[in-house]
Amino acid sequence: MSSNLAAITGIGSVSPYGPLGGLIQPRSLEPESITAWTTAGLRRAFVMKPFRPANVVPGLKTRRLDRLSAWALVASSLAIQDAGIDLSSMDRSRIAVVFGTGFGCAELTEAFYQSAAVNGWGGTDPSPFPEGLANAPASHVALWHGLRGPNITVGSKGLAGESALIQAASLLRHGQADLAIVLAGDTLTRAIYQWYEVAGLLSPACYNEEPLPEGDGFVPSEGVAALVLEPAGRQEARAYAHFSSGRWAARGDAAGNIREMLGGAVPSVIICAGQGAPCAHGSTPALAREIGDSSAVIVAPQAVAAGIADAGAFLHLILALSGRPRGGQALLLSTLGDRGFAALLLELP
Amino acid sequence: MLDPRKTIVVTGVGVVSPYGIGMDCLQAGILSGKSCLAKTKDMYPGFEGSTAHVGSLPLAAKDSMHRYSRSDRLAMLAAEDAVRGFDSESAAFRESGVIMASTVAGLSEIEPEIAQDPEAWYRHDGGLLRAASYPAAHVADAVGEHLGIDGPRCAVSAACASSAMAIALAANILLDDAAPMMLAGGSDALCPFTLSGFNSLQALDPEPCRPFDQNRKGLNLGEGAAVLVLETLDRAMARNAKVLAVLRGWAMTNDAFHSTAPQTQGNGLADCMRLAMEMAEAGCDEIGYVNAHGTGTPLNDIAETHAYETAFRERIHPVPVSSTKSYFGHCLGAAGALEAAITILTVRCGALLPTLRLTDPIESPSVNWLRGEVVRQTLPLAMSVSAGFGGSNAALIFGSAHS
Repeated sequence: MSSNLAAITGIGSVSPYGPLGGLIQPRSLEPESITAWTTAGLRRAFVMKPFRPANVVPGLKTRRLDRLSAWALVASSLAIQDAGIDLSSMDRSRIAVVFGTGFGCAELTEAFYQSAAVNGWGGTDPSPFPEGLANAPASHVALWHGLRGPNITVGSKGLAGESALIQAASLLRHGQADLAIVLAGDTLTRAIYQWYEVAGLLSPACYNEEPLPEGDGFVPSEGVAALVLEPAGRQEARAYAHFSSGRWAARGDAAGNIREMLGGAVPSVIICAGQGAPCAHGSTPALAREIGDSSAVIVAPQAVAAGIADAGAFLHLILALSGRPRGGQALLLSTLGDRGFAALLLELP
Repeated sequence: MLDPRKTIVVTGVGVVSPYGIGMDCLQAGILSGKSCLAKTKDMYPGFEGSTAHVGSLPLAAKDSMHRYSRSDRLAMLAAEDAVRGFDSESAAFRESGVIMASTVAGLSEIEPEIAQDPEAWYRHDGGLLRAASYPAAHVADAVGEHLGIDGPRCAVSAACASSAMAIALAANILLDDAAPMMLAGGSDALCPFTLSGFNSLQALDPEPCRPFDQNRKGLNLGEGAAVLVLETLDRAMARNAKVLAVLRGWAMTNDAFHSTAPQTQGNGLADCMRLAMEMAEAGCDEIGYVNAHGTGTPLNDIAETHAYETAFRERIHPVPVSSTKSYFGHCLGAAGALEAAITILTVRCGALLPTLRLTDPIESPSVNWLRGEVVRQTLPLAMSVSAGFGGSNAALIFGSAHS
């Protein structure tokens, strides 16, 4: 295995499955009624049940934080614990945090707008302002764990998680960090949900207590997933997978680009991580069938992960790894139709 | 000897600043010592302060499919300026990537009423399209679509260090050979959201700011955008591109100290400068000028001064430092890229710019606070330093094209 590979040695997540360290045991989830705000009739989504972060990570204080920051703290702590890392014995100036998000701290941004609506711009509440910045979650992860390496928050339409992983691996490759906590996530707020609704993007399952239909809109979701990424080779570490290489682009010949990256390699598993409507007939599975040979196992997009705005890739990966795919190479694949694609090549143990 | 495949060069710089569109306007304005900061009253009722505006933009806010925020349009104009004269039909151009930073992005398009009834707001006056420009990634998409660039696109959010980080990350992407060319920078528009936010934190000086002065009272906000075109030296040479500067070193660190305040001794920022100098293989005596973060806030400027004292402790002569935020304020997510453009300008024309209104500087034996007249001097290497909320730090070192 090439020394350029980066190992994923820890996993943590805060998702509709709950706050969990390591892989998520697969079980089906149904959307739930939204109760966080008043809705006109039944509205459903995959929502994170309220929990006290301090019950999961003792000592954590999150009262003034956006939920995205609180979840990033919990997910990162669970991932570090899962990796078996003792941060106190490490040079924390060499540990990076890279966070991928589409909407950032939308909850506190809305709270700031709310204070402007009530009091005018001249009377806004200062507390949500800095905490509403998109980089607040990554900053809190650094602050809580004492991580003084590069601290970067990225967004990329539909591909924020993929972008974060590619750039974190780049930091390791170029010696700018020795280890990276890589996170991806988004929260669901009233303004985000209603944007999807007015834009006509929601699945009928958001309005009926019926099983999820294939295709035809999506069910919004929320959560943060964290991965510990480190150079391959730490003796005591067990790796879930090794990140080998990645490609992402806004347009162009996705299949040709990905084949070029694969260089003749044939992935045994293709994990479809498309955003939006999770259906076996969507554009990501179609691209997977175009790229993979007949023996490749194609893992369809998972509704719970596909609904997490721009940042569902890691949850897709965690769910797929939970299925214990046999060794070989796995491709984490996302396409947004003609609006871009990302492909991450992973070596499975 | 630099390895052409691993040497990152700047082959284009585009800016939109309160001086106008283009590097020529910026150069003429800044070398003349003109301050663009002026009293503003119309940003929202009750606001009185000093800001720096760009003025009306020669680009429509919407077409048949999209609505572009002011941050989008500032970025599109800066990017257009950066690639003027490039072969836009070439494969290298089309496959280029875009990394753009913004803290405001489409916030300028959204009104407070959205928080009370989002659905009604979306259904009124193009609200749905206006809100679609909210994610920071929209700025990079706007630039990519405007120029017909198909490579990787990404937003960076690291508060006021965002666009310096965008440049650093773009350099990493080039070293990975993941794109033939990268457009990297930042863009931020003035809007009530950020003015109100900084005002509520009591961080604004109602008068034009005085970075590094003992009587400094806070910052002023400005607006603008800057985009650098980066590529490896071998690719630039292969297409006979004019090299404007060499990006010799870059680094990113975090204070891990406080969610808004900088680490009081500036340790994170000092580490960042040290790492950038290590990458540039430059001793601290070789840095001829530092374009400071220098916001004019009491906490930032003293911490930053301590950082210079640590990073340049071994210098024979004090390091020349100035803050060009004294000319057109703090452009937030665009600041790092605008200041990178100014740092390249200083390297190219050998001009050390003074900080305006600096009459009673913070006492520091390690720093030569530039004030008064422009100093003419050959500069092999110059550094641009950025910091932001959340403890973000970034440092970029530029060398002359002949280095």
